[in-house]
Amino acid sequence: MQSLGQNLRVSSLKFVVVVLGVLIVSRLVDLQIIQYSHYRQLAFSEHQRKYEIPAARGQIYVKDGDNKVPLALNQTLKLVYADPSIMEDKASAATKLAAVTGDPADKLLDALNKGHEYAVLKTRVDEKMAAAITSLHLRGVGMVNQDYRTYPEGSLASQALGFVNNDGDGQYGVEGFLNTELKGNPGQLNAKTDTNGVPIATTDNVIKQPTDGTGLVLTLDRNIQSQAETFLKQGVEEVKAESGSVVVLDPDTGAVKAMANYPTYDPNDYTKVADYTTFSNSVVTNQFEPGSVFKVFTMAAGLDLGKVKPDSTYTDNGCEQVSGYKVCNAENHHEGPNTTMTVVLRDSLNTGVMYILKLLGTDPNKITSTSKQSFRSFITDHFKFGKRTGIEQQGEASGYVPPPTSSDVTFANMSFGQGISTTMIQVAAAVGAIANGGKLYQPYVVAERDKADGSVQKTAPKVINPKVISKQTATDLGNMMEVVVHHGSGYRAFTPGYKIAGKTGTAQIPNPNGPGYIEGVNIGSFAGFAPIEDPKFVVMVRVNKPKVAGFAESTTVPIFANLTRWLLQYYAVPPSG
Amino acid sequence: MSTATYAMRRNQNLARTGTELKLGPVSATVVMILTITVLALLYLNQITKSSVFGYQLSALQAQQKQALQSKQALEVEAARLTSIQQIQNSQAVKGLVPTTQVTYAK
Repeated sequence: MQSLGQNLRVSSLKFVVVVLGVLIVSRLVDLQIIQYSHYRQLAFSEHQRKYEIPAARGQIYVKDGDNKVPLALNQTLKLVYADPSIMEDKASAATKLAAVTGDPADKLLDALNKGHEYAVLKTRVDEKMAAAITSLHLRGVGMVNQDYRTYPEGSLASQALGFVNNDGDGQYGVEGFLNTELKGNPGQLNAKTDTNGVPIATTDNVIKQPTDGTGLVLTLDRNIQSQAETFLKQGVEEVKAESGSVVVLDPDTGAVKAMANYPTYDPNDYTKVADYTTFSNSVVTNQFEPGSVFKVFTMAAGLDLGKVKPDSTYTDNGCEQVSGYKVCNAENHHEGPNTTMTVVLRDSLNTGVMYILKLLGTDPNKITSTSKQSFRSFITDHFKFGKRTGIEQQGEASGYVPPPTSSDVTFANMSFGQGISTTMIQVAAAVGAIANGGKLYQPYVVAERDKADGSVQKTAPKVINPKVISKQTATDLGNMMEVVVHHGSGYRAFTPGYKIAGKTGTAQIPNPNGPGYIEGVNIGSFAGFAPIEDPKFVVMVRVNKPKVAGFAESTTVPIFANLTRWLLQYYAVPPSG
Repeated sequence: MSTATYAMRRNQNLARTGTELKLGPVSATVVMILTITVLALLYLNQITKSSVFGYQLSALQAQQKQALQSKQALEVEAARLTSIQQIQNSQAVKGLVPTTQVTYAK
């Protein structure tokens, strides 16, 4: 009996051992074979982490003579944050922090009260201030490195430059237009980490190196830009205008030397700007009716197509009937018979350019579909109005040129710059073609690209059309525009010893709520170049809604004159006698 | 003693029979454990070394980052101090008189 009992116990024990063994093996099979992937992933994630290696954003420089000066730099600064849930005395912490940061204590306390577990207290904190904050030993307050864009020149060329927002994306200007190129491509690091999560350098870390963004050198000249901004601000404030813009262009390359707008802003403090339109570079983004400045291009069509010469005459009756509408000269101007084309530009006669428009067609006595087609083709195919120039600026407008099917009166208005819209950069580039003898260059602001691999890519000037007008037409137009400055509406720009070409324009502003124009407001513009014999620069000025009486001659010409005289000295242009 | 026996003795140093070295099961296990232990120690030593180098590398990278940040801060400060606004606001520039008449040498 005893032996039987013993055998039974031994058998039971064997059975239990076998069952346990089977269970253990089954569990091992489950853990190590069936759920292998899951546990491998868990272990992997415990000591392996993925990090993004940020690419450095390309820095932006401008020219100052032969030197490069920084306009946009990268800087790693601290962001101060707090976890209000673990802070014992928020008011005391806010007071202590305020003493170091210089911010109002109530503003910091407000941020602490609003945040639950995370509150941003201050951004762009430098090393010195960071050390002072650390020495306060405030519980729940921490700092983290953050990359910021810094603009050491402040508001200089801000609209042409743009800014980088908190997400690291470029907005407006060059920063916005070339964001992808400037940003580069981030790298990746799959690193093994220690128990604290600190990456350990091992050979099997998978690394994809970041590609830094392309650095840029702009065509803008720091001195010209600064002077353009100074004269623009002064001019806009003198005539109590709403805003204004200036562009300076090299007629022999299309390189933009200055693009200024007023009012302006500091891209370091872009968050303080209430009116978002201040961010836009109106030189390229804002399309407007150019007014009488456009007469230069109607005259160019007449001269280049052989319909008129500078001394060709017509009879100026002061007004013309077009499809039942009476279209007149400004201020009831009436020159009478034998009015030359030079006088048409000098006195800005609407009837004169309408006369040219008629000559472009089959019947010189009326506006025909041929004259409309011919005129439209000339301004769109030759001077490229109605098309974006392709300048490296975000939000460029294309302007608008009505189709040839539009009414006769629309085309009559177009001949003197109404009912058509252009941008300043289009007009400046087209005036540049007149200045250089007929070559239309694409305007550009990026002179040089400094690639991440160390190579430097210089921008070659791009000719859009090698002969928009003949050399003779360009010479004739230059001389006619010089008469405008010497004896016409541009007289305030007359500078003894220098031959300066220009044309004023005062355009009405279309009513956005219906047909017609807004009463009592206008846009003044002036485009010109100097010196005529060897043009060094093209300047275009625009002043919006001045609150003084008079035309562009009293609003834009003074700005043009100041800047042109300064530029003649800056380029060391001697008087031509 | 026969002649043949003497001959053998005379040549006894010319040929040697090999000694057979035999390890018992315990000795073999001990040797194997020792070998594995030494190899494991060598492996651990290498791993520790690479980890230590990893920490050193991380520390150097942190130093490099810090130095780069200082360089950036200095560059920004230098750019601010030489910005056109600073120059225009400097007392030296404010004291300059604008040119009114420029004469060019022919």
